[in-house]
Parts: sequence; structure tokens; C-alpha cells
Amino acid sequence: MAFVEKINKKLKKKGLNVTASEYNGAVRLTGEADSWEEVLEAGRIAAHVRGSRGVVNDCRLKGRSPETVRMPKNEDKSLEGIAPDVLVIGGGIVGAAITRELTRYAVTVAVVEKEYDVGTAQSARNDGMIHAGIDLKPDCKKVKYNVRGNKMYDALSKELDVPIERPGQLVLYTAGWQKLIFPLIKLRGLRNGIPVYPVSPRGVKEYVREPGLGFGGFMCPSAGIVSPYLMTIALMENAAHNGAKVYVDTAVTGMEVKEHKIVSVATNRGTIYPKAVVNAAGVFSDRIAEMAGDRHFTIHPRRGVEAVLDQKAYPKAKCVLGKFVISGSSGSGHTKGGGVIVSIDHNLLLGPSAKECAERENEATTREELDEVFEKQSRLAPELKRSDIITYFAGTRAATYEEDFVVEKSAVTTNFIQAAGIQSPGVTAAPAIAEDVARWAVQEVLGELRKNPSFDPVRKGIPVVREMSGETRARLIAENPDFGEIVCRCEQISKGEIIAALHTPLKVDSVDAVKRRVRAGMGRCQGGFCQPTVVRIISEELGIPPEQVTKKGAGSEVAPYPKRGSV
Amino acid sequence: MNYGLIVIGGGPAGLKAACSAAEKGLKVLIIEREAQLGGILKQCVHDGFGVIRFGEKLTGPEYAYRDITEVKRLGIECLTGTFVTGICDKDGGFVVETTSAQGIRSDFTEKIALATGCRERTPRQVNIHGTRPAGVLAAGACQNFVNLKGLLPGKRAVILGSGDIGLIMARRLTLEGAEVIGVYEAKATPSGLQRNIRQCLDDFGIPLHLKTTVTDVYGDKRVEAVRVSAVDDSMNPVGEGEIVECDLLVVSVGLIPENELAEKLGLQTDPATKGIAVDQYMMSAGKEGVYAVGNALHVHDLVDYVSEGAATAGADAANTRKRSLVKVGAEGLMYVVPQYVDVSDANEKKTFYMRAPRDMAVASVKLYADGELVAERKLKNVKPPEMLRIQFKFRASDSITLRLEEEE
Repeated sequence: MAFVEKINKKLKKKGLNVTASEYNGAVRLTGEADSWEEVLEAGRIAAHVRGSRGVVNDCRLKGRSPETVRMPKNEDKSLEGIAPDVLVIGGGIVGAAITRELTRYAVTVAVVEKEYDVGTAQSARNDGMIHAGIDLKPDCKKVKYNVRGNKMYDALSKELDVPIERPGQLVLYTAGWQKLIFPLIKLRGLRNGIPVYPVSPRGVKEYVREPGLGFGGFMCPSAGIVSPYLMTIALMENAAHNGAKVYVDTAVTGMEVKEHKIVSVATNRGTIYPKAVVNAAGVFSDRIAEMAGDRHFTIHPRRGVEAVLDQKAYPKAKCVLGKFVISGSSGSGHTKGGGVIVSIDHNLLLGPSAKECAERENEATTREELDEVFEKQSRLAPELKRSDIITYFAGTRAATYEEDFVVEKSAVTTNFIQAAGIQSPGVTAAPAIAEDVARWAVQEVLGELRKNPSFDPVRKGIPVVREMSGETRARLIAENPDFGEIVCRCEQISKGEIIAALHTPLKVDSVDAVKRRVRAGMGRCQGGFCQPTVVRIISEELGIPPEQVTKKGAGSEVAPYPKRGSV
Repeated sequence: MNYGLIVIGGGPAGLKAACSAAEKGLKVLIIEREAQLGGILKQCVHDGFGVIRFGEKLTGPEYAYRDITEVKRLGIECLTGTFVTGICDKDGGFVVETTSAQGIRSDFTEKIALATGCRERTPRQVNIHGTRPAGVLAAGACQNFVNLKGLLPGKRAVILGSGDIGLIMARRLTLEGAEVIGVYEAKATPSGLQRNIRQCLDDFGIPLHLKTTVTDVYGDKRVEAVRVSAVDDSMNPVGEGEIVECDLLVVSVGLIPENELAEKLGLQTDPATKGIAVDQYMMSAGKEGVYAVGNALHVHDLVDYVSEGAATAGADAANTRKRSLVKVGAEGLMYVVPQYVDVSDANEKKTFYMRAPRDMAVASVKLYADGELVAERKLKNVKPPEMLRIQFKFRASDSITLRLEEEE
């Protein structure tokens, strides 16, 4: 193929010890690089080539042993022989949206997630923005699914009882001349169906008490916010309510593919025999693609760190704030630059940063990254103080070298559908991606789009005591006194809410799973006061010995040793 | 219902404030969010409480029991398992809204005492990075697990911070069969009381590493190790540090007064104490009728002083005073409580609680009224962890300043 020659020339010119060859319609890179930066550089050189399906970067990093994958500790045969019509791999927001969408049709669905709960990786480790999409290049899959997904969120919020808000995103100019570009931005908005209007320097002050940039900007009113993990949970709960089987602690270890068709999928809990398989495996989606015989992209993890601020800082910024970034034509800068994000719970978030890293599951934060995030983003609202930070977290994005989503019915493996390489704006795009993916999967299995007549789109959330009027609260407590017993003092979460979190369609039994569902432990004391009580409630309610209650699944017992003499 | 005083918080401060107000004839209500009275003392099973007040070494529960007995004897009404959800001004008093398993309720009170205690600074507030596995606990949470839940959170512990709870937990974990590898303190001097260093570390051979901190946590599901590193004078880590294997990191890096309710009332906090500013009766300088007592006002070293201050507040709640407040200047001190004094009674002995910024072998606290030195106290062996309590009598004046000076 002609493009291989060209790429090899470029690689040589850069002095990289890497060779390009043709593989599965894509460019495969092999060789050994001295640094991760070199691996990335080779990948970028090979990307965006006409006629190529993508980049398969098998370039090794010198001295690096193969990456270990965090695997579930359990092994059994409990899933041996099950044969769902569709198997979804990955219980993040994309997998959850697809699973729910599939239950609209007359197919049986199972989803496997290797972690102890759904939505623990990228889907929990992002800022929860429902992006407007103004910053995305026209004509890419990202913008198409983003704009469609954005519009679906209002209905989704109502059906699934998950709050969203649309405070809008204010993009601030970093220099006075930038306002001259506004007509172009407006045009781009028109082309992609994204409303946008200019905001004067004075107008900015209505949103930010003390803006750090005084040149005005523009507002994208369709930008919204949602709790990304709560939305993931809600989608999956509704899917389970409609008959989907959700298996956590279940990792895919291999596949049997015969004549371009997946015959079976091996897991740590037995072999599954699905009619169609959906790849929604996030940072591992290229590994799953390889098992299924259609790898034509590579995930290069990009880590982001976000700082969470005390709710007391909320009045300092009342909408999402971003900075105007002019994206270069080439370049490796693939972050929207982050900003100050108002979370649905009215904590401000600062971030995210964007740092390429070799490990897909490296969710550790570093001092340097946090410093960088704070220094960069607090410039937008200089009133924000370092001491407002109550916690911080990191996540890894599933970026591909094409920097676009891979949403497609496989051209190679007939019963395989990919929703891979989904990173920002994945939360926004997930519901739209799910519509297409579910249709392809159902068509593959049934040969038609037959509906499930008993599909119920409605999910009832756990009552939120702190937001109730006195009257409603009184009525609820009269019905169930547990809702009057406040356990998490910072966030005012009652025992009733914690118990309810344990009895939703997705059975959970860990402290962090409870935290993501009802916010117990998410306030300024970060669980210092309520954690021992939450452990006790889980133990009592589920009949688990207290020493076996975990923070986040097997191996993370909070207080694993009963004391001498205690029962 | 209508009350003369509602006390929010049923720990040692709240209990004592309630008793002394009831003794003066006020109708008092105690609101406690936990199921039992006693506050944090419930989990402090070690002894050393009450030496000043009772001349005895009591355990935490024993100390609390004495006040609880008194509360019962005085017939003070208590709502346990009850959480204050709202508080607002009304007709010169306050309306307090609560939620409990019994439902919601709203009470009127003429005066209010905030005895809400404090919370612990979190690992993240001292810039600990790395992963977020099980086995990283604030010292108070660790104490709760061990002493109230009967569970040991780990068998090989590293303790960050030499605050008193950290020191107490070093001993407690050792007694429960865990190995405590060491206590690490970023500051050059320990944060806890000398007696706790002796009784909890030295007596058990637990090393204390000063000017050293924990920077990173390793481990996926459970802590496997931490990185400890020396710090420079501005407490920034220097060098690579070293890896210490452990399955538990206990963090005891300071306490922050809980003042969310004071903020609901629009009261500003003193940046030095993180509590509200008060006069010598612990009444808010900014708002009449609101008292703050115990660790919600400022973090104390000994519960005996908590009770003393709370007694003052409770008794004052029965009075009506015409206040004439003068700001108390603090020089060479970390903080002084009260931040204001009512100078209308010149014959009254006024009690000041303060903390020194650093160790001093010999020092004196000087009191200036209108710029003139009017009283002085010599002090020996001054240390920041040990609160200074000094009483002064002085004439009415327009300005009061307390100055701590080191002497040769």
C-alpha cells in the first residue's frame, strides 16, 4: 500500500526505530522506542492517512514489561454456557446506554464489567459535562454523536430520575482581538446545530464574580451538567429492570472467532455464547477488538486530573467556564483545555489536565499535575483558593490516534459492533451512540428491529432527603423513619437513602458504590465521620460480617480484622 | 416548643453549657445528631480526662458520663439522633429546624449555643497523592472502628501527623496487636501533648520522625505502601523519599471547627481559629444570643477547658447584658480567644485562651490597655500544642492587646 511507504519515510526522518506495515486495512507500527513520547510520535505520524482504517501501534517501549490488567479476584463457572442474544463488554456509561437501548428490542442482553461496580473508570472520573460541542471539528463522529446526545439528555433525565442542569458554558477570550472571530464561531455553531451568543466583558460578571480574563467571550447555552456515574448507574438499573443481566467482577479473557464470527467469549466466570458482541470496553477496547479479530486502532491512555472544591466556593462561578483555545491544524493538543466546571452537586471542579501515560489504569494523582490544574484553571476565576480543594481524582481517557470515536459495525467480524475509543465528550455522546449500536446489534441478531413490547423507560431514583420540602420529608419519614436518621452530616444523607442504595436492581455492597449512589462521604469531611456507620449499615442490612465490608470490592475490606474478644 | 437556650451538640461542651444554663433556671434543649450523648468522648477509651476539673484521670466515656448524669438530674430535655437542618433569626430569637426518625420539628429559642465540635482534616487536604485504596483513614475514623465497632483496620500501620489522636491511636493499635512502624510529622516539633509523646510513643518504642511527611499512597484495592519524604522548612518534600510497606495509613493532621451552622446565621469565622469570634462569655461578637463552645469555637488541648468555657457560656445565657465590646489584639500569638472583651465590668477576672506559635523556654504574656502595660504573666516551657490559659483583671479601656514575648 502506498501510504505505508510514506509513513516509513516519515518515521525514518524522525529517527524512530519503528517500521510501518499494512495490517487489517490499517497501519501497524512495530519496533522499539526509547520513550513513551516516541511511541506516541510514531502513532501520530501514522494517523489520519487516506485509505487507512487507523493505527495499530505495537511499538514497544524499551525495558517495559507487558502491562498488567486489574483483574477480578474471583473465578468460578457461574456464567458457563449462558447464551444471550447480545453481550455488551464494559459497564461504563457507553456500555450502560447501549445495554438499556438494547432492552427496547426483543433480544436478551447480558453485560460484563470487570470492576466491582458499573461506572468506576472513565465514567466516574470525568467532570460530568454535557458538552455543547462548539470546540469539536465539524464532520467527525464526536461532533455528530455529541450534538445528538446533548439533545437527548432532557428526556433521559426525566425518564431515569437523574437531575441535569444547563448552566451553559462561557468561553472566555484570552485576548481582545479574539472577539473578531465570533462570526466564524457562530457559523460553526450553525453548521453543527449548536446555539451560541456573544457575551460582553461586563456580561461575564453575571456568571463569574471576579473573572480572571476581561475580554468577554461567548456563551453556549446548551452546555449542561450531570453526575456521570449516577447517569451510568441509572441507565444500567433501568436496563436490569427491563431484563438485562448485569455481571460485575467479570472480565473477558479471550474469544473464539470462526469464519469471521465470534462463537464464544471466555471470562473468569465461564464461557458465554452470544449471538452478537458489543465492544464498549473503554481503555481496553483495542484489546477486545484484537480478541474479536478486528483491531484497527490503538488506545493511548491520556490521564486527566480534576480538583473538587468545597460547595462553599460555588457562588464564585455560576456556569461552566472555559478558555478560548485556537486549535492548531496538526499538533498533539487534544484537550479542550478544561476549565471551571459547576458540578450537578454544586461543587466546582477544576480541570481536567491531559497527560499521555503508558498505563491504562493509572488513576493515581500526582502533586505536579494537581498544581498544574489549579494554577491553570484558577486563572479563570482568581477568587478560587487552594484551600477550597476538598479532594481530587484522576482518570484515563481512551484516546485513539485518530482522536475520534470508533462507532461501527465491524467490517471484518460479522457479529461484532464497536463503541470504542470513546473519551470526551463520551458522556454527552453515549445515548446517541447507544441508539446506533443497539440497532446494528438487533439487526444482526433478529434480522429486523423488533421491539420489546414491555419495555419500561422509567427508573425511580432514591429519594433525596436534603432536597425535600419539610412536608414531603415529614411524609417520607412517617412512612419510613430511616429517612429521618442523618448519617452523612456534610451532605445530609439519611440511613434510609443508604439502605435504598443497597437494594436497587444492581446489587451493591461496598462503601464506594453507596457513595456514588447517594453521596454519603462526598462532603468536606470525606467520610471521616460517616464511614464507620456506613460499614455498619451495609453489614446489618446485607448480613455480611462487618470485617468483610469493602471499600471497593474484594480485597478492599475497610476494617478486615475483628478484634480479639469481639464478636 | 419554646426554649431559653438550645444547645446544638451533645458532647462535653454542649452538655456542660446546658447544665450551667439549666442551673440558672433556663429551659434548655440539647440536640445531638448521634444516637447517644457524649460526642467524641464516647470513643476515647484512654484515660487522662478530667485531671484539672475533677483531680482524677478519667476515660472519655467516664468523663462524659458525669455530665450526662448531671443533665439527667437537672431534667434537661435531649433530642438524640436529631440533625439540625436549618436555623434562622426570628423575633429576637432563633428558629431551629431538625430532622430525626420521629419526623421534622421546629423549635423557638431565645439563645443558642453551637457545640458542634470539629472535623478532621483529610489526607487530601495535606496533599497526599497516589491511589485511593482501602486502608487510608483519618485518626478519628480509625479510633471509631477500633473502639466502637470492634474492628482493626490494619496490622502494619504508618501514622501521619503527631496530633494527639494520632499518638493515642499509635498506642491503641499497638495494644490491639498491630505493628506501628512510625509516626511521621512534617513540622519540626510534635503537634501533640508532651505527655502523649511519652505515654503513647516512647513507652512503646514507636519512632517519631520529625520534618518528614507521607507524599504518596500505593496499592489498588488496599494500601500496600506509602512514600515518606523529608520536607524543607516550608514543608515541601525534598528528594525521592523512601517506600514504607504498610496496610494502613492513619492520618492525624489537624482539626477544623465545624461552623456550617454559624455560617447559616451569617457569622464570619476567625481565620486563625476557624471558629466564630466571641467575647469572654463565648457569645458571638457579631450576633447577640449566639454562643460557640468547645472545639467548634477553637480546638482545645484538654476537655477540662472545654467544660470551663462552656460553663461560662451556659451561665451567661441566663443574663441580659448591655455589651461594650473592645477588640483584643494578639501579637506574637497564633490566636487568642475571646477575640473581643466586654469591658463594662472592670472588677471581673477575664479568662483568655491562646496558643504560642513556637516553642519558648521562658516567655511572658503582657496585657496592654490603651497602649499601657497593665498586667504580665511569666511562663515556662511554652509549646504550641499546649493551650495557654491566663486570667487578667483590667480597667475599662478602648484597646486591649495581648503580646507573647520570648525571654532570654
